Amino acid sequence: MAAKVRDWIQSRPEGGIAVLFVVVQAVVVLSAVAMPDFRYLTQANIAVTLKAIAPLGIMALGVGILMIAGEFDLSVGALYSFCAIVTATLTNAWGADIDAEGANALLPFVAMAIGLLIGTLAGIVHAVITLRFNIPSFITTLGAMLIWKGATLLFHGATSLRFKPSEPFASIFGGQIGVVHASMFWFLGMAVVFFFLLHRHRLGNHFFAVGGNRNAAVAIGINPARTKIIAFAICGFMAALSGIVAGVRVSSIQPGGGIGLELVAIAACVIGGHALMGGRGSILGIVLGTALMFTIQDVLLLLRAPGFYFEMFVGGLIVIAVIMNMAIRRKG
Amino acid sequence: MTEQLEIVTPAEPPVAGLKPTETPLLEMRNITKRYGGFVALNDMNFYIGRNEVIGLLGDNGAGKSTLVKMMSGINPPTSGEILANGRKVQFRSRSDSEAAGIETIYQDIALVDSMSITRNIFLGREMVNAFGFMNHKAMEQKTIEILGSAVQISGIDDPDKEVGFLSGGQKQAVAIARAVHFKRNILLLDEPTSALSVRETEHLLAYVRDLKDQGTSSVLVTHNLYHAFQVCDRFVVMSHGTKVFEARKEDTSIEEVTYHVIRT
Repeated sequence: MAAKVRDWIQSRPEGGIAVLFVVVQAVVVLSAVAMPDFRYLTQANIAVTLKAIAPLGIMALGVGILMIAGEFDLSVGALYSFCAIVTATLTNAWGADIDAEGANALLPFVAMAIGLLIGTLAGIVHAVITLRFNIPSFITTLGAMLIWKGATLLFHGATSLRFKPSEPFASIFGGQIGVVHASMFWFLGMAVVFFFLLHRHRLGNHFFAVGGNRNAAVAIGINPARTKIIAFAICGFMAALSGIVAGVRVSSIQPGGGIGLELVAIAACVIGGHALMGGRGSILGIVLGTALMFTIQDVLLLLRAPGFYFEMFVGGLIVIAVIMNMAIRRKG
Repeated sequence: MTEQLEIVTPAEPPVAGLKPTETPLLEMRNITKRYGGFVALNDMNFYIGRNEVIGLLGDNGAGKSTLVKMMSGINPPTSGEILANGRKVQFRSRSDSEAAGIETIYQDIALVDSMSITRNIFLGREMVNAFGFMNHKAMEQKTIEILGSAVQISGIDDPDKEVGFLSGGQKQAVAIARAVHFKRNILLLDEPTSALSVRETEHLLAYVRDLKDQGTSSVLVTHNLYHAFQVCDRFVVMSHGTKVFEARKEDTSIEEVTYHVIRT
């Protein structure tokens, strides 16, 4: 049993982060039990943390899958805002606001479908440009990031936008069961779906192959362009979904709300054991990486530390996580 | 005054070549491959007959690997014809060469380091259900079988092990096991022994001979003429992208072949 656990930690990309996650949780939980002033285990705190994790986690799932396939999309933060703004604008324009007279129950879903479609198509466009002109996706999507950011301001302007869609949309994406916010169900649900896609499906196998050794994948008969286009599409879709879910949660959308999120999402994946050059990573790693970042943020908030401490801690955590992963792998 | 001019027949083409006596499994006719201004293959003719092992020889940069990649479908020719069993075919991707029954063991070992042995062996040919989900248990079972039978590899016990953790010889063995398992009628081996131990090399060469008896033809690309003479029935020497010498084993000697390899 002990040998099996050790094997798992050494061989899995998320092995190191899983250990770190368990240790951090144990320390924090014990501290909370020992010191009643430290309100980590209160119902309110757990509810707030779970609520905060989901949007970034949803985005990180897409970013992580694309990283495994060996590419980046730096525009996910800008897409997050753009797709949410489009969805909210359509919802409001179609009179599907919850306070509108005779609010339509179905139209918010249609608006959301359009938002998700835009995200997906944007991902495909990024992929086609990257592959057609054989340039680094880092460059393509750096450009795309600025374009989508500008498009958001062009389409809507710089003011925040009310997003209170009618029922049942509001409950499906913004409701709560006990301490668990609806967005958390979406995050975990998508994590399960992508677990099966990435680790059990042929397509996931090809993501790893194309990202791990592109030439080998070609030699073995895998079409790298098709595989990467699908990964980009998933990434764009998830960026749109996270933007919409986040918008429902706070009932409004800030046009600049997604700026910088792309790097936080990449950080979550790297902390979760993803290789920057592709071919290595896991869904569990993405979930644990995201959860660990928010645990640290939460603890710092509870300790009333100023906001910039969070960034400093995450910065340190990225480096420590990568060093730890390398050390564990060398031992194995 | 009635003196007739002597008719001068053109000299034999400078390149010696053998004509196939029956329809070959695979034939490459007048193949040229250009990369911009660089000519990697120049009017190359090559065929693989039934039940034979061909030694493809030549110094570095002669075009051997280019030819092998072309026969594997990942490097289409600029011009020329490819015939499989006498029928003209297009080799545009790996699936075309797979349809012709060709398996390749590459020089630079086409394995993904970050994936397990099982996943590497079944990469692109996963055992899946109707929805594309993999049957990992069945693949793992098969991998254990393949690793046990095809090539005895020292020290590989766990099919779930990541290929990146294996030694060079073990990696090569995994690549060989994969090709051998899926082979149908042609096996291409591009410098397969470069990372193998002496014992593993002997084992592989013996295996190539066994495959011939079972009806699988092989092309062995190697620098080691001693290995080539152990198993090959025919030798093709390349230089500067074209064929400079070709002979059956019984018609030549290791000295003659060596001479043609180093001559150019």
